[in-house]
Amino acid sequence: MVQFSEQQMQEFNRLVKRYPEGKQKSALLPVLHLAQESFGGWLSVETMDYVANLLHLEPIEVYEVATFYSMFNTQPVGKYMFEVCQTGPCMLSGSDDIIAYIKEKLGINAGETTPDGMFTLKTVECLGACGYAPMMQLGKHYREHLTKEKVDAIIEECRNNAARNN
Amino acid sequence: MGVKLLLAKAHVEGIRSYDVYRREGGYQSVEKALKTMTPEAIVEEVKKSGLRGRGGAGFPTGMKWSFIAKPEGVPRHLVCNADESEPGTFKDRYLMEHIPHLLIEGLIVTSFALGSNDTYIYIRGEYAWIVDILEKAIAEAHQNGWLGKNILGSGFDCNIHVQRGAGAYICGEETALLESLEGKRGNPRIKPPFPAIKGLWERPTVVNNVESLAAVVPIINLGGEEYAKIGVGRSTGTKLISACGNINKPGVYEIDMTISVEEFIYSDEYCGGIKNGKRLKACIPGGSSVPILPANLLLKTAKGETRYMNYESLSDGGFATGSMMGSGGFIVLDEDQCVVKHTYTLARFYRHESCGQCSPCREGTGWMEKLLLRLDKGEGKMSDIDLLWEIQSKIEGNTICPLGDAAAWPVAAAIRHFRDEFEWHVLHPHEAQVRNFGLAHYADPLQVPAGA
Repeated sequence: MVQFSEQQMQEFNRLVKRYPEGKQKSALLPVLHLAQESFGGWLSVETMDYVANLLHLEPIEVYEVATFYSMFNTQPVGKYMFEVCQTGPCMLSGSDDIIAYIKEKLGINAGETTPDGMFTLKTVECLGACGYAPMMQLGKHYREHLTKEKVDAIIEECRNNAARNN
Repeated sequence: MGVKLLLAKAHVEGIRSYDVYRREGGYQSVEKALKTMTPEAIVEEVKKSGLRGRGGAGFPTGMKWSFIAKPEGVPRHLVCNADESEPGTFKDRYLMEHIPHLLIEGLIVTSFALGSNDTYIYIRGEYAWIVDILEKAIAEAHQNGWLGKNILGSGFDCNIHVQRGAGAYICGEETALLESLEGKRGNPRIKPPFPAIKGLWERPTVVNNVESLAAVVPIINLGGEEYAKIGVGRSTGTKLISACGNINKPGVYEIDMTISVEEFIYSDEYCGGIKNGKRLKACIPGGSSVPILPANLLLKTAKGETRYMNYESLSDGGFATGSMMGSGGFIVLDEDQCVVKHTYTLARFYRHESCGQCSPCREGTGWMEKLLLRLDKGEGKMSDIDLLWEIQSKIEGNTICPLGDAAAWPVAAAIRHFRDEFEWHVLHPHEAQVRNFGLAHYADPLQVPAGA
């Protein structure tokens, strides 16, 4: 069952308190971020309904927001998601080659997850790192000035992290 | 070495922390504003400074502030637009990462000027780690009495909250941002009413860009008139330029708007020239939505005069032969780049980011992407180029918000200045797959008509 832990609930309350009385809907985006982080990196219908209930909203108010913003995943994703920028400035600096290399290395296309559920490749539009291209977002942070060697190292790092956490 | 107002201290060791920032003279503008000035006097100083909105539109900031309605008993809000998403633009990120207290300081002064007791920073969701940096800076400002109740005994209360977006370029448009801040889809609102009358939760609201708000600090410290002496004409003060693409030194530079475009690209103080000793082909000087210019029109205006890095000079010649300062996202293309392909990636970007509310933008951006992909792959027809032109012209000016224009302009400018490159893709479909059109005549000296 989908339910915030006590600690997550504290964060939920902190988020809601930032807005005036009766304007708790404003907390929807931050709460969806919290829910996505808390429940496996994506938003299931059950999760969205849970958030709707917490914020006293109609479920549709949550669905329409969750499907509008590109950072919210409404399908399961891998443990590690490579979000590689492909917009103009990154393209000028070789993002096509990096994307092709990741596809080859992981054996998946953009939008797919490896069969072991470890990696998802997602091509994204400009993330505001144009001067440090090519780049990808991995979790909370950016990985910049990507090269094939760096991609290898990142994949290795993820595998090691996953092994350590198991 | 030009004047630096925002990034002068950005590289002082530990400047991200309150103690170092304060030791380096931080928060003086809050003392000056709250102890010696009225809110009206602050607005007046910002008007005198000539500061123009640094997010891209260039609207005078002081004037925007003066529009805020003050109905009795209705709270007002300041909202900081940190949804930096225009391709080529990463200056606000740099400022927030390196010197976050400068933004917080500017926010406190501006909140006082507008009477905002609850101020929000709306930051793009991907900048997740910067949220932590800002929240730490806000907590430090609280601990040291710059935020909270009765700041410096002035009777003014202020809190600042950081709201994360979730990946939507459109939320950089101020009314879409407000919708998002209210927990909704980022669909821009029809104006009027403007946010200054009905904004966040239908309350009077001012939305300003990160860099504009940071610039309030030197304006208050120096005085509006002194600030206005920096720069040239109506391009007062300093501007952050984020430079990227095929240059030796991509990064964020603070310029005082008196330097030429040529100096900006080739001097070691800034971009350091084109990478790998190649030649300059084209440049988008103000973020992906402003017109791309071939090298010859970038460095000199159509009249053959030197082009400078300021609002007026960059737009000299209008869209026929000029471009715009925009957000300061400076994208450089070298001789090996393909303008058709680059334009395709931008069209794909705008199709992805269209909110879908207005038909011309929703449908038009999709068609532009398809046609450009077809042309890039060597599968296009000559008539596709005219069709592209037709579509962009039907999007421009026919949408609720400026995203439609932003999507149309790059396509229009690419066809306007690089039509022969598009035609070459149609005429030489196989060749276009193995090599680029190259520099062609785009860097040739301009023919200035006699008597011009």
